[in-house]
Amino acid sequence: MRKPTVRKPRGAKEVPSAPRENALKITGLVKRFGEKTAVAGIDLEIAAGSFFGIVGPNGAGKTTTLSMVTGLLKPDFGSVEVHGVDVWSDPVAAKRKMGVLPDRLRLFDRLTGGQLLYYSGILRGLDAVTVKARTRDLAAAFGLDESLDRLVTDYSAGMTKKLALAAAMIHSPRLLVLDEPFESVDPVSAANVIEILQRYVAAGGTVVLSSHTMNLIERVCDSVAIVVNGAILDSGTMASVRGSKTLEERFVELAGGRKSAEGMEWLHTFSG
Amino acid sequence: MVAHLLRLKLQLLANLFRRSPLQLVGLVLGLIYGVGTGIIVIAGLFALRFVDAELARNTEVVFGAIIVVVYTVLPLFLGIDDTLDPRRFALFGMPNTKLASALAVATIVSIPAVVISAIALSLIVTWSRDGISVTLAVVSAVLIVATCLLSARVATSVAAFFLATRRARDLTGVLGVVALVCLTPVISALASVDWQRDGLTVLAGVERVVSWTPLGAAWAIPADAANGDFAGSFAKLFISIAWIGVLWLAWRGLVSLMLVTPERQPQAKRYAGLGWFDRVPHTPTWVIAARNLTYWGRDSRYGTSLVVIPLIPVVMIIALNIAGIPLQQLALLPVPIICLFLSWAVHNDVSFDNTAVWLHLSASTSGLADRWGRVIPVLLVGVPVLGIGSVLSVWVQGDWDLLAPLIGVSASILFSGLGLSSIMSAAFPYPTARPGDSPFAQPAPGATPAGMIQAFSFGAILLFSSPSIYFAFLGLTSNTDWYLRSLLTGLAVGLVVLIGGTLIGARVYTRRASDLLAFSMRN
Repeated sequence: MRKPTVRKPRGAKEVPSAPRENALKITGLVKRFGEKTAVAGIDLEIAAGSFFGIVGPNGAGKTTTLSMVTGLLKPDFGSVEVHGVDVWSDPVAAKRKMGVLPDRLRLFDRLTGGQLLYYSGILRGLDAVTVKARTRDLAAAFGLDESLDRLVTDYSAGMTKKLALAAAMIHSPRLLVLDEPFESVDPVSAANVIEILQRYVAAGGTVVLSSHTMNLIERVCDSVAIVVNGAILDSGTMASVRGSKTLEERFVELAGGRKSAEGMEWLHTFSG
Repeated sequence: MVAHLLRLKLQLLANLFRRSPLQLVGLVLGLIYGVGTGIIVIAGLFALRFVDAELARNTEVVFGAIIVVVYTVLPLFLGIDDTLDPRRFALFGMPNTKLASALAVATIVSIPAVVISAIALSLIVTWSRDGISVTLAVVSAVLIVATCLLSARVATSVAAFFLATRRARDLTGVLGVVALVCLTPVISALASVDWQRDGLTVLAGVERVVSWTPLGAAWAIPADAANGDFAGSFAKLFISIAWIGVLWLAWRGLVSLMLVTPERQPQAKRYAGLGWFDRVPHTPTWVIAARNLTYWGRDSRYGTSLVVIPLIPVVMIIALNIAGIPLQQLALLPVPIICLFLSWAVHNDVSFDNTAVWLHLSASTSGLADRWGRVIPVLLVGVPVLGIGSVLSVWVQGDWDLLAPLIGVSASILFSGLGLSSIMSAAFPYPTARPGDSPFAQPAPGATPAGMIQAFSFGAILLFSSPSIYFAFLGLTSNTDWYLRSLLTGLAVGLVVLIGGTLIGARVYTRRASDLLAFSMRN
């Protein structure tokens, strides 16, 4: 007779006793823009093999944090280590271990999708044969086969996102840092992408993603951090952060600022 | 509703002045330019009052027609950001005719409208010769203002509506430059007419045709009357009123069409294969070069420079030739000039990438790969131009001794220019038109003194090339032995600055990479 098995968090190592290596270690990260403090001292350790979600309201500092993590934005204070390598003192080694999907940065969009993937691959130091083979695989996995010959600037927002995701993975990094990866991606594509990411995590990779879609984070991530006003209000495994509530309820409770919709009665007296 | 839209337009006009001081300076300069041109035209119209009626008619109709053309064509090329685009009112549910007339009336509150009104009113002075002419001049003034404003209104919407796709926009930018440059021969042809002798005949000939077209008809109404041709005057009155009717119908049709048509979907073109990427070695340096080459063909911001650069010497040669320098001597000019502008053109290359440069940063691309990747495409174009162009120039010029110094000077300019640009684009980027914007859309001037950086890069190239230029000059004036020295100095200085410049540029780039990204994010 089989024993009922306790469901492990996704991506957990098979040997629970061995301490998990940190894929990402953030210490005392601070960033100010003039008077405004965007990130006010963030400490975070993310174990290898996690599917980690960062949630927060608009303007909470998620993008700023992830930009500093990926070596795109210089922090005022603090350090970031990727698999033990400091991003800002040894950027070449650290960035090789990372795949990045930034939010709101342009792509070289006058290239075709195929050219952009090729460009990303060669810049990452892959050889041409590998890049071409991986381009085929990625295009099939993300449903981009039909679009590789078209200019990225003619893509829809969701397709651009998928292409950027593919470009982030092409050098098979150990850590994927994805800022709003599912924004404007249709549900079918999102499901495909999630499946790809879950297989990647199961194979020992680490995913860190930010989003403000709570349901999605709650469904796919095994750990989560809630960021409000540039600081982490709570972090840990999904179960410990969420408690008995849904992640959304817990988030709204922490973030505060729910406004009751009073004084809008005129909206219910229709004019014509 | 007309009152509402007028008030909105007034507010928008007032908002023009709520900008940063630097933008304000630019705006005021633009205003001075526009108003200044207007004042000159008005002064001319006043002066015509005292000229005999036939000459006054010919001059006034021809220049008037030019003004109508300017009002029609300029909005097409400038791609003016239309604050009163009919589509912005689509959600308010107004009747088409009402919206069309309100928007047309609202154009009266604008700087171009003030200028054209002042010009049209001066027309009354020109024709204050007899009662009928003055009365007709008043009518004509109204018709002229209506024609110009409606034409501009229709042209602006046509530009916003039909030329809205990316490819069409790219194309109009490039075509605009070509058209502008092609005007130069026309102007020089006009300049070659002996105005003292034939001027008036030419003017009269043009007037006879133009005054019967919608461009000149309105201007000719009082002019013909003052010359005693009442039949012509009334025929032209009819033509200009009919034309306003046509413009009005076009405008109304455009409004109703625009309100129900979604933004035009661009036809996505397919590009098979990897293009340049498959024709170069598969290393970071060369893919960056391939990317730049690809962009030259697909991004109008590069396209316009590439079209303009070979045209600059053409314009210079025409101008200098008119000034009396023989063509044979001028044949030496194009190669060094093209080299100068080719190498100077990339001094702000990183800024053209805008935030897409994050990819280089994220892949920790080496500074040298980034620098050489941007230099190689220019060399691929510049070196053949240098070699073939120099031989052709000297062949036209005739003195083969000049080949050595011509190559020396041009190589010095091309190579040292590229070396200097490699440093400048990493150390002193300044904001430029963003990807996808019109190549003429200048970004809001920020804290970076773009003009100074441009002038400095330009001057530095000439400074480093001055030894070679000086030796070539000595060769021309005293002893031909200097020719060889010019060649050797040019090559040596050029190569040293090129290699030194890319090395320094690479260090600067590596050190400042994240600052460069932060800089482009601010734009």
